[in-house]
Amino acid sequence: MNLMPEFRCHRPTTLEEAVRLKAAAASARFVGGGTDLLVNLRRGLGEPTDLIDLTAVADLAAIRYQDGALWVGAGVTLADLARHPEILASYPAVADAALAVAGPTHRAAATLGGNLCQDTRCIFYNQSEWWREGNGWCLKYLGDKCHVVVKSDRCYATYHGDVAPVLMVLGAEAVLASPRGVRRIALAELYRESGAEHLTLGPDEVLAAVALPPPAGRRAAYAKARVRDAVDFPLAGVAVALRRDGDVIGELGVAITGTNSAPLMIDTDALIGRAWNDEAAAVLALSLRKTANLLRTTITGPKYRRRAMQGMTRRLMDTLWNGR
Amino acid sequence: MSVRQLEKHRVGLVGARTPLIDGVEKVTGRARYTADLPAAGALCGRILRSPLPHARIVSVDTSAAEALEGVVAVCTGEDCRVPFGVLPIAENEFPLAREKVRYRGDPVAAVAAVDEATAARALKLIRVEYEKLPAYFDSGKAMKPGAVPIHAEKPNNVLREVHAEFGDSEAGFAAADLVREKTYRFAEVNHVHIEPNATLAEYDPERGHLTLHTTTQVPYYVLLKVAQCMEMDEASIRVVKPFVGGGFGARTECLHFEIIAGLLARKAGATVRLLQTREETFLAHRGRPDTKITVKLGMKRDGKLTACHLQAVQNGGAYASYGIITILYTGALLHGIYEIPAIKHDGWRVYTNTPPCGAQRGHGTVDARAAFEALMNEMAAELGLDAFAVRQVNLLPSIPYVTAYTQRVMSYGLPECLEKVMKASGWAERRGNLPKGRGLGLGCSHFVSGTTTPKHWTGEPHAAVNLRLDFDGGITVLTGAADIGQGSSTMAAQMVAETLSVDWNRLRVISADSALTPKDNGSYSSRVTFMVGNAAVHAASQLKRILTEAAAKKLEASADDIECEHEMFRVVGTDKELPFHDAVKAALVDTGPITVKGTFTSPTEFMGDKKVKGSAIGATMGFCYAAQVVECSVDEVTGKVTAHKAWVAVDVGRALNPLAVEGQVQGGVWMGMGQAMSEETRFDEGRMLHGNMLDYRVPTMVESPDIEVFIVESIDPNGPFGAKEASEGMLAGFLPAVMDAVHEATGVRPYTLPLSPERIGDLLDARDGVQS
Repeated sequence: MNLMPEFRCHRPTTLEEAVRLKAAAASARFVGGGTDLLVNLRRGLGEPTDLIDLTAVADLAAIRYQDGALWVGAGVTLADLARHPEILASYPAVADAALAVAGPTHRAAATLGGNLCQDTRCIFYNQSEWWREGNGWCLKYLGDKCHVVVKSDRCYATYHGDVAPVLMVLGAEAVLASPRGVRRIALAELYRESGAEHLTLGPDEVLAAVALPPPAGRRAAYAKARVRDAVDFPLAGVAVALRRDGDVIGELGVAITGTNSAPLMIDTDALIGRAWNDEAAAVLALSLRKTANLLRTTITGPKYRRRAMQGMTRRLMDTLWNGR
Repeated sequence: MSVRQLEKHRVGLVGARTPLIDGVEKVTGRARYTADLPAAGALCGRILRSPLPHARIVSVDTSAAEALEGVVAVCTGEDCRVPFGVLPIAENEFPLAREKVRYRGDPVAAVAAVDEATAARALKLIRVEYEKLPAYFDSGKAMKPGAVPIHAEKPNNVLREVHAEFGDSEAGFAAADLVREKTYRFAEVNHVHIEPNATLAEYDPERGHLTLHTTTQVPYYVLLKVAQCMEMDEASIRVVKPFVGGGFGARTECLHFEIIAGLLARKAGATVRLLQTREETFLAHRGRPDTKITVKLGMKRDGKLTACHLQAVQNGGAYASYGIITILYTGALLHGIYEIPAIKHDGWRVYTNTPPCGAQRGHGTVDARAAFEALMNEMAAELGLDAFAVRQVNLLPSIPYVTAYTQRVMSYGLPECLEKVMKASGWAERRGNLPKGRGLGLGCSHFVSGTTTPKHWTGEPHAAVNLRLDFDGGITVLTGAADIGQGSSTMAAQMVAETLSVDWNRLRVISADSALTPKDNGSYSSRVTFMVGNAAVHAASQLKRILTEAAAKKLEASADDIECEHEMFRVVGTDKELPFHDAVKAALVDTGPITVKGTFTSPTEFMGDKKVKGSAIGATMGFCYAAQVVECSVDEVTGKVTAHKAWVAVDVGRALNPLAVEGQVQGGVWMGMGQAMSEETRFDEGRMLHGNMLDYRVPTMVESPDIEVFIVESIDPNGPFGAKEASEGMLAGFLPAVMDAVHEATGVRPYTLPLSPERIGDLLDARDGVQS
């Protein structure tokens, strides 16, 4: 067992107090279930002076309708999210994605906010301190060299969250709180494609909730490639939300995860108003290829991950198009 | 031993489904493992490891670490000049490296400090200067002329080369109707025992005594090697094995951390707790090596084998460990399962700059057996023969049977195993008729019930068990056998319960404490049930004789006329009887507390033949046999293979405890599944990438198929109540079975394992002509 670094632990009960604490300590980190952060800290990935435990903030644990959208608090556990009646009734793909995360014990503790804000991953980063030191550290933490893309000036660690892409294709917004108040942004804007700084949150901002608009005729689904059907992060994941209008695609959102340093929306403009068939599939495949940037960040090679991403997307589209 | 009708209804008796005697302690959390042992004031040990895969150590400066407040002892290679290794002929590992490091993770120095944070700080203060050497991560490069020797005594980096031929293989291939040769590649795997490595070392500076509690399968070997490396009298060392969370072969030899804990404790004159991380546990390794197998078989039109030639090359890692035995096993267990007129074997065990490989469940045979069986399936298909028919035509013709390798087969339940799984799987109706994407496959395998040639030959019996009986009427079984979860303590108690016909609750087992229990070679090569079981029966028979004679005296009858049933001694044919307790009281008169010793010694005809080189390896008194059918499906989009069901029939001689046998068989099949489907170590220029349970992919419950176990009882004439090995023999069969099932499902034949989605994806793309 590796030691945890020393830190002060805070357990605020209000959001105001939480963001105030965050603003007060430069290297403070929020922690929800801890299934991502604590594992990393034990490996010496970060030495925050303060941890702000958000699990006592009651506001963060609610799921409720507000302004016509379903607000899901960032503190809702993945297990609760996956069995919530409103989620199951209106957004079953969100429940599927939540259930695709890790294993049951992780999901009992892990929160939606923690899942969305999870750290990016890389075989040269998620290693012990001894391992990384012997490899000259890396660009993401303590070093100046990327071992994935040598001579790169940015980190290519990959984002492997399962829930974000589904929420993105459903048009979800992130609700962010800070001492200055609350702002809403498209969930996709929470991320930037840079492995060492993949979240756009300000230093004193917290992800408070996700607001889901009504499904409005869209049907969504999520597929995830992995070696084991539990525990594993996605080697590639695809979320699709489709509204079929008669014989044509009325609305289409496709997002990928496990491929880049952020979960990314795929450009589907060229497909709107067209029928779904082999030609349309080729257009979508090209669009996926243009966006996905699969590199040697996981033990499983990029070639397989590209193959799986394309295959799963085609299968999801076929299934949703045919109303199955 | 006479094999009589056994009652099976009372828990603890032979054949009764008996929960493990220490099971409640484990499931309630009461069981204490090494890391849980209370040791107030124990120092914290930590190991500094090499960041380089191959280098000369120029200097080690520990002065700053030693000066740090709270640091009590610092050890380096200077503290131990004696090498160790499990095989007396290949001892070339130092607990702390001297002169050279040979894999990334090789221990270089160690500290004992007042707490973990201080120990961690101290490690950072140790300065090691290295001079890099070329490093080799696969056997091909390590064997190339001009390669730098990893060990000076092996200039070509080959630890052991073996060549053997039995019969005339050339003539055999010439006589065949079909000859095929294929090469298979098996990734290196690790045991991933759930409990990480740990040692608690207590040194008494006044008496110069050392006590180790440690995570081992072989307390006796640990004691020997710790004494050797620390240059201590064996009498001054005590080794205790507390509860252990699995082993699977990883702990069948003394490992570096155990000696390091001892060195630190002595230098500190104190108690040191040395806990290893999961990464360090992976680094200690001793897993199944990355192996390349080229197998050539000759077959007649009816499937009858005419000859076999198998070549094995193993990337053995940086030290010898069990390597010589592992490479010999790839040949030794080509024998004893089928009748093959000619067998040729070539093997190369090669040093590489990776963590040392060792013994792993199914030691040495798994990859060779899998390749052999896979080719058998492929050739059966080519000849238009059924996979079962090809096995049946090659069965051993009669029992007893002596193999060309001089192994004696005294019991052979493979024919019945085949019948059972053929019927249960619906093979005749379903094979070839499954929907697209689904398949069935068959594999057979076998394993020794203990090696009859111990690593340290002393001339002593192969096993000894003591029984103690005192005024309370409780019987204490004292055995050196290390229960590592496989149930050896339960088994030993059962042997006594059955032989003495006593209640299960009368028995207690004390095991694996060198101060209390008789020496035992340890839990490896599936030797314990056969050898310790027989020794326990022998001990119980003697105690029975003592009690019977005491009862006879009391009942004024001849001992020959006394029968004992359900704790009642009775004069045959009369109603004169004496309860167990009274018999005990009678027996203690004059003598006081009773201790008896039972032993077991393998007859020499089971120990191989000096005329047959290498035949000491794979020499055994009985083989466990298994046949299994696996059903799988393949998702061509994700390349994922899913095993839905395994039907496995295993000849265990006799199921002493069907509950435990089923668990062991399921565990064995499951471990084969892990190797077949997803497990593999991965390195990047010697950097271990897989050192955690996310990246080293042991299957989860979700991937675990239903494993239906059929027990076949061939009643071995030499096993205790007819029992043989029951936990290794079924492992290898899963690999070829699922390989063949994948072929039926997809039309592609895999030659590289594991069948990860990545590999299956590549095979499917190659089949479909997809350009990447």
